[in-house]
Amino acid sequence: MGAGEAGGGKAGDGKAGGGEVGAGEAGDGNGTTDRSGMTDRNRDAKSGHIELASLTKRFGDVVAVAGISLEVAAGEFFSLLGPSGCGKTTTLRLVAGFERPDAGRILIDGRDVATLPPHKRDVNTVFQSYALFPFLNVAENVAFGLRYRSVSKADSARRVAEALELVQLAGYEKRRPGQLSGGQQQRVALARALVLRPSVLLLDEPLGALDAKLRRALQVELKTLQEHLGITFLYVTHDQEEALTMSDRLAVMSGGQIAQLGAPREVYEEPVDAYVAEFLGVSNLMDATATRPAGATEVCHVRLGEFDLEAGCGRIDSTGAVKLAIRPERVELGAYELTGGNRVPGMVERLVFLGSATQIFVHLAPGVTLQALVRNDGRALPWSQGSPVSVALPADALRVLATEVPAFEEALAPAVG
Amino acid sequence: MAVIAEKPRPAAPMHLPGAQRERAGWPKFLPRPNPWRRAWFLESFTWLYLIWSIVPVALAVLFSFNNGKSQSSWQGFSLQWYVGKGDTSVLHNPELHHAVIQTLVLAGLTTVITVPLGVAFAIGIDRWRSRTAAGLSFVMIFSFVVPELLLAVALFFVVTQLLRFIPLGTYAEVAGLVVWNLSWPAIVVRARLVTIGRVYEEAAADLGASRIRAMWRVLAPMLMPAIFASAVLVFAGVIDDFVIVEQLSSTANTQPMSVLIYSNVHSAGLPGPALNALATIMLGFSLIVAVLGLLVYRFMTRQERHGSTEALTSIAGM
Ligand SMILES: Nc1ncnc2c1ncn2[C@@H]1O[C@H](COP(=O)(O)OP(=O)(O)OP(=O)(O)O)[C@@H](O)[C@H]1O
Ligand SMILES: [Mg+2]
Repeated sequence: MGAGEAGGGKAGDGKAGGGEVGAGEAGDGNGTTDRSGMTDRNRDAKSGHIELASLTKRFGDVVAVAGISLEVAAGEFFSLLGPSGCGKTTTLRLVAGFERPDAGRILIDGRDVATLPPHKRDVNTVFQSYALFPFLNVAENVAFGLRYRSVSKADSARRVAEALELVQLAGYEKRRPGQLSGGQQQRVALARALVLRPSVLLLDEPLGALDAKLRRALQVELKTLQEHLGITFLYVTHDQEEALTMSDRLAVMSGGQIAQLGAPREVYEEPVDAYVAEFLGVSNLMDATATRPAGATEVCHVRLGEFDLEAGCGRIDSTGAVKLAIRPERVELGAYELTGGNRVPGMVERLVFLGSATQIFVHLAPGVTLQALVRNDGRALPWSQGSPVSVALPADALRVLATEVPAFEEALAPAVG
Repeated sequence: MAVIAEKPRPAAPMHLPGAQRERAGWPKFLPRPNPWRRAWFLESFTWLYLIWSIVPVALAVLFSFNNGKSQSSWQGFSLQWYVGKGDTSVLHNPELHHAVIQTLVLAGLTTVITVPLGVAFAIGIDRWRSRTAAGLSFVMIFSFVVPELLLAVALFFVVTQLLRFIPLGTYAEVAGLVVWNLSWPAIVVRARLVTIGRVYEEAAADLGASRIRAMWRVLAPMLMPAIFASAVLVFAGVIDDFVIVEQLSSTANTQPMSVLIYSNVHSAGLPGPALNALATIMLGFSLIVAVLGLLVYRFMTRQERHGSTEALTSIAGM
């Protein structure tokens, strides 16, 4: 416990300034290694490109991965995000080589590796359970893979020391995994993979077993490390905040399919469907009917209960049943007397003080409850529980989403929409 | 309120906490049970059991040191039945000391053959997932289900009628003991495999180790405690075994201690205390193997927390 807190503190400091210094030092060390260690693997700037093409994996009747296609650029931090059982781990295991795909291709730097056994692939994995060898000490664990790389003894010792330095675990060489805290074990697992200088690192919820504070500290550390080393990270998580803050791009998965793929901002701001919107954190979702698709006006007319609204983004060419989404921070509350376009009357149900903002639950006349987030500017809010309000839903914040049509069905039958 | 509180409560012993005292529905006139009281009944029963099982053994051991031929009246201490000059001591009677050697030979050979076979069996069943494997995994508990006598008689038939090139005696005995004891390593190692899971081997493969190397460098060290524990079980089991070796031994030369003791105890062949001495040696071997086994096992698993409990469960094959 004590060790864990110490590690957390260290990691926390790393955010402020220590990490920069550590990274800088490690950078110098790594630079020299790369020059002297050229024989080991000629790392030119463009290695670590991954391409998955219609990758499919079945377990009996369960289709764990149902035709995933994606491309990860060299040096990119790419996340697979999705709820439990959506096939994230299976996808990762396919890339690592622990599972054999039923169909599809896995290309790493243009080479199809789908039939190669794991030990012949230039990818390394950080397992969720870490899988450190309990009978070996930290240094031996980290040195494990070097045995198969024809690295001299002296070189091996130097690289182990460097790797441990990189994850800030110098001085722990002789400890056994059982004598380390969770966060420290996670770093050893990372060092064990990084010491081999893979072009691709696969991480399966590497922070899943840690407490929230340590998680956040290690997120920053991992991201810094990845940017510094320039290794491609394929990162699996079910934590949307983690995926949004760390990734260059991410794929939201659902039932073995990719529901949406894009940069964090894009996926967050412009979810393609209700599923993605829902999964990426609090979003108000309402059932509505699109009455008139966007013409020259660039807005779609929708009907929410007995109110006609204009919605300016998303699938504004839809007609029929749709979902409307709006982020709580874009919901505007005003005096009840206010009327005008895109305003709906409602009543305050509950106020929750969050510190920097106040979360307000408003019951709208059409029978739905919305969340609004009002920034705290030091003045008391004019509403209390039961106050009648007028709720403005700006057209440029109101997204039209396809209802329950998952991305893949749509791809199979484009006529549905 | 105050009046009620001061009312004496004779039924409640003073040392009971309030919660216990206030339990609803308990008749006033009965003394309340104290949950922290000593479990007299269970304790005495345990002691009785220990005495009942240990005293006869202790007496048998004691009379192996008797300075006389009696197995019931104490005539003074001596080592004559172990190392005495005449041909009645274990050391000098060829029949007796041959039995000791035969027991050790059988235990050693059986262990050396059974353990690798059992480990291979366990790994095979763990890795090879099919209906056949499920069936085979039932065969693993074979020796816990089949009566030993039935197996012994069946083996006797096989050896004397079908596989006649296997002569009765040491070969047949070892073959029978291997069949009978294979379950131990198979079950103990399999249990360990299940707890270990595949992740360490996958990690090794991920780091560049081929399948064989991963097995050798990762699986083998992790299985070692289980392999060792099963070797101890097999070795100790063979020392104790009687039914199978009795059926499959041939001449006096291939009789281990157990068979020799059995065949002499009712006839007036060898003197009583000499047999006691032989039995004491048998007991000594078993104890040494068990104690040594437990110590080495605890040394091997010192890295793992809860070492001792696992030692017990693993030795018990759970
Ligand atoms: N070895 C296996 N045998 C049978 N089914 C499996 C196997 N591995 C995974 N599955 C199934 O495949 C589906 C996807 O599993 P996977 O482990 O990839 O999910 P996940 O997205 O990693 O979930 P989590 O977030 O819970 O780890 C699940 O329905 C699971 O039950
Ligand atoms: Mg998973």
